[in-house]
Amino acid sequence: MELQLTAAQNEWREEVREFLDTELPAEWERSTEWCEDEDFWEFATGFTRKVSAKGWIGLTWPEEYGGLARPPIDQLIFSEEFTYHDAPLVNTIGWGLAAGALLRGGTEAQKQKFLPPIQRTEVLWAEGYTEPEAGSDLASLTTRAVRDGDEWVLTGQKTFTTWGSHADMLFTATRTDPDAPRHRGITIFGVPIHQPGVSFGPLLNIGGGRQNHTFLDGARVPHENMIGSEGRGWDLIMGGFYGGNIGAAYMDAQQKLDKMVAWCKTARRNGRLLIVDPVGRDQLAEMDLLVQAERLLTYEALSNIQSKRPPAFAGAIGQVQSKEAVTRFAELTNLIAGRVGQLAVGSAWAPIDVASGGPEAWFRTSIRNHGGGTPQVKRMVLATRGLGLPR
Amino acid sequence: MDIDLEQHQVDLADTARRFFEARSTITAVRGWEASEVGFSPEVWAEMARLGWLRLGHPESIGGVGGGVLELSVIYQAMGRTLAPVPHLESAVIGAGVLAGADTPAARDLLEPVLSGTSIVTPALAEDDAGFGPESIAMPATVEADGGLRLAGSKILVGYANSASHVIVAARTAPGSGESSGITLALVETAAPGVTLTKLPNLAGYPLYAVTFDSVRVGPEAVLGRMNAGWELLEPVVERAAVLRAAQIQGAAERLLELSVGYAERRSQFGQVIGRYQAVQYLCSDIAINSHLTSLMVRYAAGLLDAGLPVGKAVSEAKAQANLTARLAPERAHAVHAGIAFILDFDVQLFTRRCRHWELDLGDERYHRERIADVLAA
Repeated sequence: MELQLTAAQNEWREEVREFLDTELPAEWERSTEWCEDEDFWEFATGFTRKVSAKGWIGLTWPEEYGGLARPPIDQLIFSEEFTYHDAPLVNTIGWGLAAGALLRGGTEAQKQKFLPPIQRTEVLWAEGYTEPEAGSDLASLTTRAVRDGDEWVLTGQKTFTTWGSHADMLFTATRTDPDAPRHRGITIFGVPIHQPGVSFGPLLNIGGGRQNHTFLDGARVPHENMIGSEGRGWDLIMGGFYGGNIGAAYMDAQQKLDKMVAWCKTARRNGRLLIVDPVGRDQLAEMDLLVQAERLLTYEALSNIQSKRPPAFAGAIGQVQSKEAVTRFAELTNLIAGRVGQLAVGSAWAPIDVASGGPEAWFRTSIRNHGGGTPQVKRMVLATRGLGLPR
Repeated sequence: MDIDLEQHQVDLADTARRFFEARSTITAVRGWEASEVGFSPEVWAEMARLGWLRLGHPESIGGVGGGVLELSVIYQAMGRTLAPVPHLESAVIGAGVLAGADTPAARDLLEPVLSGTSIVTPALAEDDAGFGPESIAMPATVEADGGLRLAGSKILVGYANSASHVIVAARTAPGSGESSGITLALVETAAPGVTLTKLPNLAGYPLYAVTFDSVRVGPEAVLGRMNAGWELLEPVVERAAVLRAAQIQGAAERLLELSVGYAERRSQFGQVIGRYQAVQYLCSDIAINSHLTSLMVRYAAGLLDAGLPVGKAVSEAKAQANLTARLAPERAHAVHAGIAFILDFDVQLFTRRCRHWELDLGDERYHRERIADVLAA
């Protein structure tokens, strides 16, 4: 048990804050990748390259692949500050998902080839897991990969490919052996996107952003781009995002709560300040409890990583909690804001900014609720793998 | 940054769990609930021999050291087994206030309390039913010699029938709603003018009303400074609230085991009910809330033990625990359906005990209000 940061860790936090103060415009409030705004994309990419230049993409990776080999706590501090300040990092699939799979299951040659360009934000990756008929039941995916000499030929459709049309590589799950048990016939490839066999179709979302349908029509991949071994892709998928990239989603909620409290000190309801309204105060307290739950689950995850111990309840409690909490959290912001909460940002009457309680909070909430697996699926994992109930 | 328990705390948790599972069987718990004293003097004496009444107190006052974290793992084990002992009332709050008061009378009573031969229990609640200083209105007149004359009633006093003394919080100066103006007094339960009235309750907990009919105590009975009683009490009840939360967590953990076990055995519509996702959801609700409670307890206890600013952590722990104290039994009843309603089944014992623990030392409304105070500051 150690609940205090060391002096060196506090200095690290200061260093990260100073960087953000310097590099982000004042009042910056746009963090996510979920909009299709070219100016935003350009700024976010340039910003991420500056983070790369500091060595902070790949902060925890081994030094031989361009990392700084820093401990997970340094990554958490970094994540806390970047999340709280809405720092717009691109290539989360690259440094999160692809790098994690490469570090766990990649060959030495693949690590040397793929990791340094990810570290430098030179090569951008998108995710190619989900298919129109393989969402929650990902293991039913049907995109085929067939060996052809030194290459594999891919045919099928992926979907919900965020920023796919800006990416260079697709981290793709394919079926290489249709006769094997379904979890044993899946293989992962890093697919070069800039080739005739790969194309995209827009999938416009309620937040004004874009995901993509991704069409693989005879796309060719060199055999050396097979990540992990043939037929064992499911193990890499279940490994999830690289543990060293421990995130701090609660700081997004903390930032919204802080803004909501500040707003409640000036806004009135029924003739009195919201901050003295018993119902409003109770709702703020509930928001705080949701933030604190997620914060402590993250501290627990950090402790698990530090002591190399598998998480309790198959790690599913943190996933269920964070996914279910976001919807309640957004609901609470809207209950507190009242009827002005429906107003889009930009209006003088909109209660608070985009990140705190306005309509975009709902769009983001929806994505965090289902992205990476629905809470219902995580509940199934919790019940069966965590509690041992029968499937 | 590390939120794990230390190895010696894990070992103590294991010892405590084995101790209470052996000594406080569910059959014994049923018997103690029906008994006149409402707890187990044997388990209490054994806890005293193990030094668990001295835990969390410094050696300088007769304690054995350790902190809220060490106590919390014992409370979790007591929650799992519903072990009825006046530990929180006497060894934590009673001894904590006596140690903080540091008067001759308090010092004299401390060793009997830490050895378990005397029980001292707090008498705080009144018909306002709140928990904070705002809810303490019972007047005490300050007499010329510095003694007090008490008039009024305190309710929901745990184990008053077994206690040699109660620690009464009374208002000695006006200013209801203020934390100043409250004075703590040590009053013998056998003193003239003190009447105990048993309060039958859902939890089957030994709760009493203590009525003071113009009871006079001398200046030596005043604990701490006049009008500064809440300052003395507050840090003690903060620790106690975290431990109550740990106890709730232990009960929730046991309810999870009972519910999962039942769902794995009970068959309906041709298959075990644990296969139905609706039932799986009920079980996972218990798991989630029990786990969150354990994390919030550990965090608050760790801050208290390290002497770090506690902020909202105590109220977060008790608020979450209070939610768990309602939700875990409710979900367990839903999994067990009709049979949980039957006295022969164990679920109802947890359900009823949780009703008291939830409402003790600050209900959800109280602790959420404290959280809001910190947020709004």
